[in-house]
Amino acid sequence: MKKYLKTALILCAICGAAALLLAVVNSLTAPKIAAYEEEQKQAVLGAVSNGEAIGDFHSVSGVSNITGYYGLGKSSFILMLSTTGYGGEITLAAAYDTNGKLTAAKVLSDSETPGLGKKSEESWYMDKFLGKSSNMPTKKTELSTEDAQAISGASVTFTGISKALLAGSSYVTSVLKGGKN
Amino acid sequence: MNTKELTKGFFKENPTFIIMLGMCPTLGVTTQVVNALGMGAGVLFVLFFSNVLIAALKNVIPNSVRIPCYIVIIASFVTIVEMVLHAFVPSIYDALGVYLPLIVVNCIILGRAEAFANKNTVGDSALDAIGMGLGFTMSLSLIALIREVFGKGTITLFAIGNWNGVITIPGLYEWPVRVVSLAAGALLLMGYLKAFFQWFSENRKAKGTAK
Repeated sequence: MKKYLKTALILCAICGAAALLLAVVNSLTAPKIAAYEEEQKQAVLGAVSNGEAIGDFHSVSGVSNITGYYGLGKSSFILMLSTTGYGGEITLAAAYDTNGKLTAAKVLSDSETPGLGKKSEESWYMDKFLGKSSNMPTKKTELSTEDAQAISGASVTFTGISKALLAGSSYVTSVLKGGKN
Repeated sequence: MNTKELTKGFFKENPTFIIMLGMCPTLGVTTQVVNALGMGAGVLFVLFFSNVLIAALKNVIPNSVRIPCYIVIIASFVTIVEMVLHAFVPSIYDALGVYLPLIVVNCIILGRAEAFANKNTVGDSALDAIGMGLGFTMSLSLIALIREVFGKGTITLFAIGNWNGVITIPGLYEWPVRVVSLAAGALLLMGYLKAFFQWFSENRKAKGTAK
């Protein structure tokens, strides 16, 4: 009995010390991480807004892939999208015009594999979706040979992103249409 | 202290090619040289601190719960690395992505704790960690260099200022041997390199006995 108690106490002490150490490091790094993430989000929003004024954020719940939207200019929107890739959640910011046509999109955060799914962060990745609405390519066979080669090895990422962009487009045409911000 | 503990990680007991530990990150991150260097540095840091701490606490940690204790210590250091990189060097944090938390389950770190640090002094364990960590980084960089040069025709290093960190190799960039950069190429290459290291170390052993 005494032996077990001692073992448990030692394990408990090690865990306690580890937790304390992590709490100290976290309190030092958390504000910097939050500031960095906010900065990144603003940079992405700025990049997809194409210079137009970004309105207030409206959160959306109960719709798959869509977490919220900003009004953009007079009749456009930036949708915050969330989808599942190969390495977990991918979040994107995507700008649509009033007809649900994608005008710009950028990955905000992901945990995809470097060299494969991580390519989705590159600026050229979204080119194949731009200008598309309900005809968004969601299968590799709908792409040109060159585009299909570029996403080869990362089909899961492609499927996740394309489905989210398609869902965003149909959300704009079915729910947001009418141009009210 | 024994300098042999430092040098054995490079050839004689190279963690990747001879002991065959930590195969998942070896095959996974070696698509670009920069990933291999980042992963190697992360592993070196965690391995050093976990080896030193485990060697220091080897008489305190009860034998029956040693593995949970090692995992707690290793996971704590990995989380520290993650938070510090995210806060201060976000570019490397973003580049390493999912492989960073995976250092927790890298067999090299637990393997060295179990096979070396809990039987040896703090000084020897520190040397062992540095040698093994550098050996791991060296092996990873070697595989990544071959895979990236032949598979993509580029060498990706850290971006400094205006330079984006990518060296392009003419000829191979236009006509890469794409299979080398894919998973099958990694396994094939691993086999050839393993054979080479085996031949090299046996050759050295044979020469040693002949003298």
